[in-house]
Amino acid sequence: MANNAEAAAQPAVRLEHVSKKIGRKTIIDDLSFDIYGGEVFGFLGPNGAGKTTTIRMIVGLMRMTQGNIYIQGHSIKGDFKQAIRQVGAIVENPEMYKFLTGYQNLIHYARMIPGISKERILEVIKLVELQGRIHEKVKHYSLGMRQRLGVAQALLHHPSVLILDEPTNGLDPQGIHDLRNYLHNLSREEHVAIIVSSHLLSEMQLMCDRIGIIQKGKLIGVETVNDFIEKGSSKVRIQVDDGRLAAQTVKDKLAIDAVFIDDTTLEVPVEHEKIPVVVDTLVVSKIKIYSVIAVAKSLEDRFLEVTGGKSVE
Amino acid sequence: MSNFVGLLQNENMKIYRRSSAKVMMIILLGLILAAGLIIRFGSDQPKSDPHWKQTLIQDNKVNQKQLAQMKGNKQVANYLKKTIAINKYRIEHNLKPSPGETIWNFMEDAAGNLILVISVFTIIVVSTSIASEFDTGTIKLLLIRPIYRTEILLSKYISALLFTVVCLITLFIASWLLGGLLFGFGGVNEAHLVYDHGTVYQSSWTLAIWKGYLLNCVSLFMTVTFAGLIASVFRNGGLAIGLSIFTMMASSIVITLLGRYDWVKYVLFANTDLTQYTTGTPIRDEMTLGFSLAVLAVYYILFIFIGWAFYTRRDIKA
Ligand SMILES: Nc1ncnc2c1ncn2[C@@H]1O[C@H](COP(=O)(O)OP(=O)(O)OP(=O)(O)O)[C@@H](O)[C@H]1O
Ligand SMILES: [Mg+2]
Repeated sequence: MANNAEAAAQPAVRLEHVSKKIGRKTIIDDLSFDIYGGEVFGFLGPNGAGKTTTIRMIVGLMRMTQGNIYIQGHSIKGDFKQAIRQVGAIVENPEMYKFLTGYQNLIHYARMIPGISKERILEVIKLVELQGRIHEKVKHYSLGMRQRLGVAQALLHHPSVLILDEPTNGLDPQGIHDLRNYLHNLSREEHVAIIVSSHLLSEMQLMCDRIGIIQKGKLIGVETVNDFIEKGSSKVRIQVDDGRLAAQTVKDKLAIDAVFIDDTTLEVPVEHEKIPVVVDTLVVSKIKIYSVIAVAKSLEDRFLEVTGGKSVE
Repeated sequence: MSNFVGLLQNENMKIYRRSSAKVMMIILLGLILAAGLIIRFGSDQPKSDPHWKQTLIQDNKVNQKQLAQMKGNKQVANYLKKTIAINKYRIEHNLKPSPGETIWNFMEDAAGNLILVISVFTIIVVSTSIASEFDTGTIKLLLIRPIYRTEILLSKYISALLFTVVCLITLFIASWLLGGLLFGFGGVNEAHLVYDHGTVYQSSWTLAIWKGYLLNCVSLFMTVTFAGLIASVFRNGGLAIGLSIFTMMASSIVITLLGRYDWVKYVLFANTDLTQYTTGTPIRDEMTLGFSLAVLAVYYILFIFIGWAFYTRRDIKA
């Protein structure tokens, strides 16, 4: 969890029992969670889980059937202008006006919020490294360049909440790396709350502090990335002098199905907290231990585990 | 409110930066030029007639005969009566009709015909402005700003009407310039004869031309608003353009066919053509200018309200 000082502060974004029904279908079912300034929150879920729908409701593009959403304390329903003023966002693809240049697109958005100077526009262009191409029409841009322009328009007005729906889509490795660093800086230095949804789970692992998993419109858990990975059945790989004997010992004394990989290595499926118990047992049994490595599951393994390996519902 | 100026600047940028806006302007100027050249050089300009009084008396005899034989068709009868009355007035007041086309005729005809073209252009502009952002998905980034959807829609509507104004000014200046170059700037003081319920009086051409613009624009204004309504409700530019142009074109035929029914006077398109009151041939006899204006106002409020409600309330799924 976030530290106490932050937890006590007002959340940057708060969802309260948010539901969305379209026709008879419940697309979002009673979603509640808080996101704080200074953290990167990953919104994770299989295709069609309702990530984009949730983001649309946060930015007021869709009405919620029930519940409310507050941005820096302002209800998006009751106090739209004050609430949305805090937000910069990309919703799904960053669709810009193709017949305008990148620069004209930014001018267009800058005119809609008071107090954006020309310097700020140039600053943002530099930030996403589009200086060389900014006066070309957007129809001549590549997907990655459009994505960069999308990030630029989201940042123009110094938002305190940044929402990016699949921002790495189309970016090259360098672009992803830069974006990750930039988001990191924004959250740490300017205390911006950042919500990212992505299909690239390994990306989320590197980018996010906390992760919320959504499936079939329901939130099935909010955890820090580390907890998320370490929780559940993780594995340790232990190097010993006699693998076969060690595996047998663990089986007999702890009733854990250890697998010996080769003569000197065994793998023990065990929760994080119980690793010392396993080590103790081996030591007591006079088995020599050369190394203990926690084989952390990737976010992907854990994700498939949590969502039951099913993708589209 | 300074924000609203920014919104108008944005919408203007999106209208005029599209290549279609340039194409429309070129077509408009091209049509004016073509019309002028065809009228000037397509047929021989008639010579000044020294015996014009005799000619008019002769004409009126023919017209009288036709009028006597006429039964039923009110519009033609009215036209004949008007011609006869004006010819008489000319003879009595010694006002020689100018031979062939003048700058004034040209401007009046240009307004009458090309405002229809401007209507079509503005229908395209307003429909594209409102609906295309749903097709391209740009609506999402447009609506997540601290601006109400009402303001966005209003800026789109007003900028489309400003486009009309730009077209009208272009039409006015171009037709005046071309009319003057081709038919001479002279005759500025020539009288404009108005036939009003059996009497003829003199008026100025400038006034007549302004009046022509104004009356023609009523129809334009209503069809453009109708297009905006369809675009807001269905979020489909093609549908809005097609449907509005079709109703605009088809309505005059349909309305004439339905003229004998009492309820037709409540149909929008029976009331958009206000020139029916200047020519003295309203679609139904009991209709008056005030009645038409009231009907138009009711439709207008309805269009604006429904279009606004749909635009501001519905979810953005684009
Ligand atoms: N207009 C609509 N009418 C009916 N169902 C809809 C509508 N829009 C979305 N849905 C449904 O809502 C669910 C959630 O869609 P959403 O786009 O939020 O998913 P997502 O998590 O963003 O998926 P992805 O990872 O593919 O982007 C899907 O099952 C989708 O079919
Ligand atoms: Mg999505």
